[in-house]
Amino acid sequence: MRSLGRYLLVRTLLTIPMIFVLVTLVFLILRVMPGDPVKSSIRPGAPQEYIDEIRHTLGLDKPLYVQYGEYLWDLLHFDLGTTLSPVRGQSVSEQIWEHFPATLELALAGILVTAVVGVGAGAYAAHHRRSVADYSLRLYAIIVYAIPVFWLGLMFQLIFGVWLRWFPIAGRISSLAVAPEHVTGLYTLDSLLTGNWVAFKDSVMHLILPAMTLGLYLSGVFVRLTRSNMLQILKMDFITAARARGIPERTVVYGHALKNALIPIITMMGLQFALLLAGAVLTESTFSWPGLGRFLVERITYRDFPSIQGAVVVFAVLVASVSLLVDVLYAWIDPRIRY
Amino acid sequence: MYKRKFFFVLLALAVVLAVGLTACGGGKQASTGAGKTIVIGTTDKVTDLDPANAYDFHTWEIFHNTMDTLLHYKPGTTDLEPGLAESYDVSDDGKEYTFHLRQGLKFPDGTPFNAEAVKWSIDRVFKIQGDPNWLVTSFVDHVEVVDDYTVKFVLKDAVNYFPLLVATYPYAPVSPKCYPADQIASDSTCGGIGHYKIEKWTRDVEMDLVANPDWYGDPPKAGKVIVKYFADATTMRLALENGEIDIALKSLNPTDYADLEKNPDIQVIEGPGAQIRYIVFNSDMAPFDNKLVREAVAYAVDRQAIVDKAFQGTHEPLYSMVPMGMWSHIDAFPKRDLNKAKELLQEAGYSADKPLEIDLWWTPTHYGDTESDVASVVKAALEETGMIKVNLQSAEWATYTDQFGSMGMFLLGWYPDYMDPDNYTYPFAASDASDDIGSNYKSEQMDAYFKSEQTATDLRGAERQKVFEDIQKLWAVDVPTLPLTQGKLLVAARSNVTGIVLDPVMANHYFLFDKK
Repeated sequence: MRSLGRYLLVRTLLTIPMIFVLVTLVFLILRVMPGDPVKSSIRPGAPQEYIDEIRHTLGLDKPLYVQYGEYLWDLLHFDLGTTLSPVRGQSVSEQIWEHFPATLELALAGILVTAVVGVGAGAYAAHHRRSVADYSLRLYAIIVYAIPVFWLGLMFQLIFGVWLRWFPIAGRISSLAVAPEHVTGLYTLDSLLTGNWVAFKDSVMHLILPAMTLGLYLSGVFVRLTRSNMLQILKMDFITAARARGIPERTVVYGHALKNALIPIITMMGLQFALLLAGAVLTESTFSWPGLGRFLVERITYRDFPSIQGAVVVFAVLVASVSLLVDVLYAWIDPRIRY
Repeated sequence: MYKRKFFFVLLALAVVLAVGLTACGGGKQASTGAGKTIVIGTTDKVTDLDPANAYDFHTWEIFHNTMDTLLHYKPGTTDLEPGLAESYDVSDDGKEYTFHLRQGLKFPDGTPFNAEAVKWSIDRVFKIQGDPNWLVTSFVDHVEVVDDYTVKFVLKDAVNYFPLLVATYPYAPVSPKCYPADQIASDSTCGGIGHYKIEKWTRDVEMDLVANPDWYGDPPKAGKVIVKYFADATTMRLALENGEIDIALKSLNPTDYADLEKNPDIQVIEGPGAQIRYIVFNSDMAPFDNKLVREAVAYAVDRQAIVDKAFQGTHEPLYSMVPMGMWSHIDAFPKRDLNKAKELLQEAGYSADKPLEIDLWWTPTHYGDTESDVASVVKAALEETGMIKVNLQSAEWATYTDQFGSMGMFLLGWYPDYMDPDNYTYPFAASDASDDIGSNYKSEQMDAYFKSEQTATDLRGAERQKVFEDIQKLWAVDVPTLPLTQGKLLVAARSNVTGIVLDPVMANHYFLFDKK
């Protein structure tokens, strides 16, 4: 346990230089890139004096090293600065916290769909190796991974939203339902916590299509990964021993084999979850989901330096935290693993 | 034991989701029945809810419905009518405008509306110096309170189109108790005195408007209007089709309108637009410093092909910078003539063996998905001469605007600030303004025309009309910019929606929207 604590400490400390390098790179790349945050947010043809005045007010006319020093100093004080464009002077931290719960909720729901469908189908395919179901699921895995995620989303919108009219196709909650009181920012959870059942039903309805889109898209990888790991495990001696002891086949496969096949699956799931947090941009755009990915892309087009830098820092911390959590999960799931 | 628990938790969550999937069926319709709520969709965004700093089409549309001005456009026309002012007088020298205000009005926070509030709002624009401040600060010297309900604007110089400027939103009176005097309030939902009050706003997600009980005129047809913000035009189209929204405003993809017209549950309404697309030439940069080259491009460009191929009929060919339907418009530019274009190119020293090589710049997202098609069609038309070779160059908007002055030939679009031909001509061709837009065109004759039209006594008189006709004719000769197309206004709505009135001012009148 002490070794795990030391490991966690070292990993956490290593995160600091990683973030430092990342923010420095992002800071420099943004300034080297063509494009002006001031000009992109005002009317074309505004007089140069007016542009210079705004640039001066925002401190963009200072030497680069001064801007960099000020940025690092603020960052050390957990101050991500204020926006430059399209609206000037808004707190970046507030903007990020406003958008993050939507992304987190979508990522959690998406990874849940992935886990249930991907891992479940993979284990089933391994259990029924070379059956029609096995071949079908392998084909499904390839097809679903090859389909562009936005196209999958559009198809779901068309089929379940327009033709069948089962689910709404845009936003997090209906215009006519009252959003739940803010507790965590996750509408489904907040509505449960506050007993707002109308909002719960409405937010779940809104969550289903984007979560299914993201989850099914990623499930292909997990079908293949789970299946191949399960096939290896099912050949091992302890499985033969379990079968010899007369343990029911279902328990052997889903109780013993699946558990032992979980390590690489959890690693991949951790990585995918981190990617989901940072990269669900297309799904967020397709479903008009007001998340952080969409926020980041929009701010890149405006060259809103502080928002882009702030979002990258948050993503970096998230990816580092999730991978750390995955390492801890290893030890929890497999007691043989020591740090 | 713990591992088993993990699986049970996973399974339980899966069950919750599955229950959600099956139990929560049933699509939601936008209509609430009683109380008349209209749900609008748009792919536009509100940038800044402070009229002293906002300067974009959609935010001004929100102001149009929540914040009246002293004078405003009569819906369906480009004519001004009294707004928060019942009438106004102009001094003989044209430098003083005295407005007589409506009495007994109040802002949504209860603050009374009076001459002090009007003066305070204008002084605030001077202090803040926001993006649209030039609409006030370039013209107004100061504002005087004559009495509680009379206010005088003293101008720097006589400007005959000042009443049109007063109808823009930097002039909108706001509550002195609700807005800070010298700071931008970007997220303020205070509004002004309008048909609606802002009840709720979540940036990029939704804005809820409710009827203002203190509005002086006819109450809005729908008691509540919800504006939903979409990231994607296709999603907005699907939301209209499944009834999540009643009206899809700006903008669906051009192909969507043709498809939706075939849907019996949807109506597509077309109206005159005032947005124009054009090419800017940098008159200081070779080869566009040669007037013959600019003229040759003007003869070679194929407007009809742009309309048909890029805009799918949602635009019309435009032969003047002053849009069709606007007072004083004439078709000044010639129709396409490839032979004439070739002649001019030969005169400029180019031939099939020694073609004119030019870069045409365009920007991929700012003007929507159609922009790459516009650029491609322009390129094809110019290359049809056999004497021009066009390299297409693109840059994101932030980069694009930064490159004004260093691009020789580039595509742009224009929405009017005020409904007057001056707004479509002066910023591009006046010597003291053209460098800001990257055209760098200078002409003493053109400057003289501008001075003449801006000081003419009658805003819509024959004398001023003649000047604008001359401006348009000179434009076709010097070609500082090349007008291409004029966009139509298109709105798609559920078939039970009524009251959609479109006009060249382009701001939608939410207060007229109704449904059966």
